Amino acid sequence: MMLLRREFTKLIHQKRSYVGWIGLLAVPLLVTLALYLNRNNHHHDNGPGGVISLAMHNGLLMPVAAITLLSAFLLPLLASMVGAYQLAGEAETGTIKTWLMHSISRGGVLASKWGIAIIYVIIGLALVFVGGLIGGALAFGLHAPALLSGQTVSISHGLGLSLLAFLYVLAGIICVLSLALLFATMTNSSLTAAIAALVVFIVMNILGAFSYFDFMKPYLFTSHLDAWQNLLSQPISWHPIVIGLITFAIYIVGLMAVAWYLFRRKDILV
Amino acid sequence: MTLTQEHTGGPAATPPDAEPVVLATYGLTKSFGGKLAVDHLDLTVRRGDVFGFLGPNGAGKTTTIRMIVGLIYPTSGYATVIDHQVPRDKKEALKHIGGFVEVPAFYGNMSARLNLRLMGSLNGQVEEQRISEVLDIVGLRERADSKVGDYSHGMKQRLGIANALINKPELVILDEPTSGLDPQGMKDVRELVRELGTGGTTVFLSSHLLHEVEQVCNRAVIINRGKVVIEGPVSDLHPEHSSVKLLTADQGKARDVVAALVGAQNVELDEEYLIVQASDGAAREMVAKLVAAGIGVDAVIPAREQGLEDFFLGLTQSSDVDTGGAVGVSGGAK
Repeated sequence: MMLLRREFTKLIHQKRSYVGWIGLLAVPLLVTLALYLNRNNHHHDNGPGGVISLAMHNGLLMPVAAITLLSAFLLPLLASMVGAYQLAGEAETGTIKTWLMHSISRGGVLASKWGIAIIYVIIGLALVFVGGLIGGALAFGLHAPALLSGQTVSISHGLGLSLLAFLYVLAGIICVLSLALLFATMTNSSLTAAIAALVVFIVMNILGAFSYFDFMKPYLFTSHLDAWQNLLSQPISWHPIVIGLITFAIYIVGLMAVAWYLFRRKDILV
Repeated sequence: MTLTQEHTGGPAATPPDAEPVVLATYGLTKSFGGKLAVDHLDLTVRRGDVFGFLGPNGAGKTTTIRMIVGLIYPTSGYATVIDHQVPRDKKEALKHIGGFVEVPAFYGNMSARLNLRLMGSLNGQVEEQRISEVLDIVGLRERADSKVGDYSHGMKQRLGIANALINKPELVILDEPTSGLDPQGMKDVRELVRELGTGGTTVFLSSHLLHEVEQVCNRAVIINRGKVVIEGPVSDLHPEHSSVKLLTADQGKARDVVAALVGAQNVELDEEYLIVQASDGAAREMVAKLVAAGIGVDAVIPAREQGLEDFFLGLTQSSDVDTGGAVGVSGGAK
C-alpha cells in the first residue's frame, strides 16, 4: 500500500495521465452529441448496434453505449500505454534505477505498478460513466431503461447493471494492461511495450474474427470482451459472463506470473 | 614502476583493521554474454573509510556498483553491506545505502523537495527538516520547489548527493559524482565527500580521476578489466619517484651530470626537456651539481601530476598481462 501511494503521487504529476482521462471524458460526450444530432434518423440497419440505439431513447444507457465504442480501441490503447509506461517509461528516464536502490522488493514494485495502472483505468472508466450519464441526461433524459430483451427495469436496476458492465470491461482491460506490463519487463522502451501489447490484442481480435480459427476462440480473452452485453437481457445468461471472467483471471495471473519471473532477476542497466 | 615500500603497513590515515567492515565483495563476478565485466572482485571497505574505486572507463566500476545495490545480479559471488548479503538480503542491505549510479535520475515533473520526500520515505520516515537540511548541504535550498526537469546537469548531480544523504545511511555510494561539473562544483563535491568521511560516514567513491581520489580518499582500489590491480592506502598509490623536467644550456652535458647523481636509467632526454625520475628533494641537489659543473639552468619543472597519470596508465595497461606481479600490492589491504 505504501508503494501504491507513492505510485499515485507519480501518476498525478504526469501530464500524460490527464490526456488519457480527458479523452475518456470527452468520448461519451461526443457520442451523445453525435447521437443527439442524429436522433431523427431511424435507419437502424446501417446505424450503431443494439445498445447504442437503446441509449438514443434513454440517457441512462449512455455509459454502456460509450463503453461499447471505447472497448474496441481507445481503452485497450490507454491500458497498453499506462501498463507499458509503468516500468519501461521509468527505464527511459532512468528513475527505475533510483527507485530500486531503496529498501523495497521487486515483487512489491511490480505489484504497485500493476495496481496503479488499474487505478488509472478505473478513474478513466469512472469518467466515461459520469460523462455518459451527464451527456445522456442532457440529451435524452434519464428514464427507467428498456433492455435489449424488451423489458423495462427501474432506474436503480439499470444503473446497477451498467455498473456491473463496467466492472466486467475493467476485468477485460486488465488483461491488456497486464500484457503491456509484461512486455515492459522485457524492454526499456515504453513505446515498444505498448505497441507489442496492442499488436497481440489486435492479432487476437483478428484470429477471433475468422471462423477458421473458431477452435481458438474460447482461449482468446478478446473473444470474451463483449460478454457484458448479456447483462442487458432478462433473464441474464450468466454463463458467458462467468466464462469470460475465468478466462480473464487465467490470463491476468499467467501474464503477471511471467512478468514477476522476468522482473525479479532483471538486470537494470539503464 | 613500483610502489614505495616504506608505506607498507599503512599510514596513520588508515583506520585500524579493528573497524567493522561496512562493505565487502567476495568473488563478485558478472559476465554479459560470456564477456567478463567484473572478474572475481574482492573488496573490503571499513567504517569511516572514504574509499576510492578507481579505474579507467569501462573497467567495471559501474557494473560492480550495480551489483552492490542489487540493480543487477552477479553471475557468481556476492557482496555484504553491514551484515546483509546482496543479492540475498538486498532489501535489508539497501536500508543502509544511499547513493546513485551513473547520472542521478529523478521525476522531472516534480520539485526537488517532492522527489526527496518520495524517495526518502521508501527507506523510512523523512522529516521536512531533514529535506531542507540536505538541500542546504548541496546548495539547492533556493531551487527546492522548482521542477527537477528544469535543473541543469550540475544541479541534478547535487540533488543526487542530497538524495544519497537523506536517510543518513551508513554507506554512501557515489558513482563519478563530479562528472560534468564545473570546477567550483567539483571542488564543492570533493569538500563534501571529505566532510562526510570526517563525520564518520563510509563513502564509496568511484572515479576515473586519480588526483580526485588522491584528494578525498584515504583508501583506494584500482581496477581494470574487472579485476583488482592494486588496493591499499591512497598514499601508496604513488609512483616510486616523482619526475622533474629540466631545461639547461647544454642538455647533453646536463644528462651526464644528472645521471651520475640519480642513475642513467632514470634520466631521459626528449625533444625539449631532460626528464628525471627522482625522489622529492632531489631537484635542489641536481641544480647545485649542474651549476657547479658550469651548466646554466633555465627551468626546473616539477611534473608530479604527469608522473601519477603515467603511473595509473601503466597499472591499468599492464593489468591485462599480469595482475599482480608487475606491481607490488602493498600492505594494509586484505
